[in-house]
Amino acid sequence: MSHHLSISEGHHLPVAGSKEEALYAIGARFESSDDIVKAAAKLQKEGFSCYESYTPYPVHGLAQVMRLPKSILSFLVLGGGISAILIALSMELIPTGLIYPLMVDGKPTNFSALPQFIPIVVALTLMISAVTAVAGMILLGGMPLFNNPMFAWDLFERGASRSFFIAIEAHDPKFTTASVTELLHDLGGLDVTAIHLEASDKE
Amino acid sequence: MSTLTTNAEAVTETPDLEILARPPQVLNNRDPKWVTGAVCSIVEGKTPLWWWIGFTIAATFAGIGGACILYMIVTGVGVWGSNSPCFWAWDITNFIFWVSMAHAGSMISALLFLTRQRWSISIARVSEAMTVFAIMCAGVYPAIHIGRVWFVWFLFPIPNNYGMWPNFSSPLLWDVFAVTSYLTVSSLFWFAGMIPDLSVLRDRATTKIRRFCYGIVSLGWLGTARQWRHYEMMYVLLAGITSVLVVTVTTIVSSDCATSVIPGWHATIFPFYFMVGAVYSGCATVLTLLIPLRLAYPQLKELITASHLDKVCKLLLFMGSCVAYVYVMELFNAWYSGNAFERGAFWERFNGLAAWYPITCLSINLIVPQLFWFKKIRHCLPVVFVLAILCNVGMWFERFMIVTTSLIHDFLPSSWHIFHASIVDILTATGTVGIFFTLFLLFIRFVPVINMSELKATLPDSQPGHAAEEGHGLKS
Repeated sequence: MSHHLSISEGHHLPVAGSKEEALYAIGARFESSDDIVKAAAKLQKEGFSCYESYTPYPVHGLAQVMRLPKSILSFLVLGGGISAILIALSMELIPTGLIYPLMVDGKPTNFSALPQFIPIVVALTLMISAVTAVAGMILLGGMPLFNNPMFAWDLFERGASRSFFIAIEAHDPKFTTASVTELLHDLGGLDVTAIHLEASDKE
Repeated sequence: MSTLTTNAEAVTETPDLEILARPPQVLNNRDPKWVTGAVCSIVEGKTPLWWWIGFTIAATFAGIGGACILYMIVTGVGVWGSNSPCFWAWDITNFIFWVSMAHAGSMISALLFLTRQRWSISIARVSEAMTVFAIMCAGVYPAIHIGRVWFVWFLFPIPNNYGMWPNFSSPLLWDVFAVTSYLTVSSLFWFAGMIPDLSVLRDRATTKIRRFCYGIVSLGWLGTARQWRHYEMMYVLLAGITSVLVVTVTTIVSSDCATSVIPGWHATIFPFYFMVGAVYSGCATVLTLLIPLRLAYPQLKELITASHLDKVCKLLLFMGSCVAYVYVMELFNAWYSGNAFERGAFWERFNGLAAWYPITCLSINLIVPQLFWFKKIRHCLPVVFVLAILCNVGMWFERFMIVTTSLIHDFLPSSWHIFHASIVDILTATGTVGIFFTLFLLFIRFVPVINMSELKATLPDSQPGHAAEEGHGLKS
């Protein structure tokens, strides 16, 4: 890591995106999962709050050092599952017991025949819970999102899913171009780049 | 005392690391970059000739099957061999055969994930694909076997003016919900697990169209720490949900038979009977798919190692032994019940009109899986491939035996009547095989066949603190 000495001035920073547009973030690439965990820990310590790390696979320990709370998805799925039970039971019992009682072989059609209604309750509960889990993951993760300012950075666009990146966003209260550039270099970040927004007519 | 000291000494002196170490997840100490390249090259490379040949054959069979279904719809179910008293035959046999086969995929990707069997990571994607496609093949039958397909909406609880309302106490309706939820959940599990990998293909895409298509299906995945946190939680939850499905779907499907009063069907052992057979035939299918896949793409041999296949063989052996146990128990129950009809049903099964179905089924399913006790056989892949296909043949005969032999020997001996499959039956069945392989070949060409992100996270290179060490743990 020591072969990357810090640059005190951020003026020679490579620029991605369109220079005329606002600065979105300053990004850096890291060599390994260990480097990115260390860098995130340092940023957290320095008091940055608007930064994001990008990794090709879940890096354990990263969420902890970034102080991200536990995902609330499990509660959403529990809610989905409980509502599915209620939906399934009302779908079966209200019509079968009250609106269109369907007599087959003289079997009871009301609540006293609960066991025969259970298989559908199980099937629907599992189905709706799964739909909640996937929809929840997509929405909580900020998806679907088909463009992202980060894609202005060529290196990121080609390697988002294969390399480790950190981007400190310009609206962070502690953000100044010079200090952030220097900090990222100090942390061992490679290819430190200023990412500007792209002109709005371009994709 | 003395043994304790010697044991302690042995441990401190020379622990045999080779034996203690788990077999590597990926051979030759490959790094994450190599894994990405190896898996993506299958999708990105030129379409090989064998693929076109295989696809043409599979799609032709699928097309013929489709034509047969169309012919059946416009003519009526009379074009099938099913007739009184054997009203259910190849339609339900194939439905059960396919939907059961799907279960091994769920078991491998969900149950083995929850029990932290890391070896299952490499084969999970292919197994899930098998699950989804097998359920699709199964789904062909329930709708068409009702005869008047245009009334299929009667199965769904749609409020309507006719006062038609499904009978929720019927296992046939449970089936509708079980299979629908199974297809939905397993497709979601498969797709959601694929999102990070699809974004890799998006990033590597060289043409605009590819980039656009993979961009759409990867939903804008970036791999941020926030996304991974929710993703990992989702994966655990879906694995939990899918594991429950492994048990419930076959239980409900088996209720189609078990809740009726037909001797030979009316048995409490049926849910277990169907489930072990399901995982057994699914493991056989996974082997049937993986062995040629490794041959076609040699780089996969380092990712789907001989040790992984060996473990699938062992799972197959275990499930095959459970199947053997159930066969014996079923016969024992029939005898022990003291019920003349139950005993009669099993007597006729082995001595009646269609004795060759159970004899084929039993001779395959009792012998073939037991061959996997031998390491030499488990490690000889051509033999494993042939045995795995035989296992599936055996399982098909088992489903056929269960469905038909009980029906053809009904309560009136005067109406006993052997079932003969018609050409439409046969071509529809081969059509589903065609559909299965068509979908599987498309899967190979368009989607990463291995869960790269999950696999990369298990590599020695990705472990915390790896950079500080000299080597990669026990291996070096």
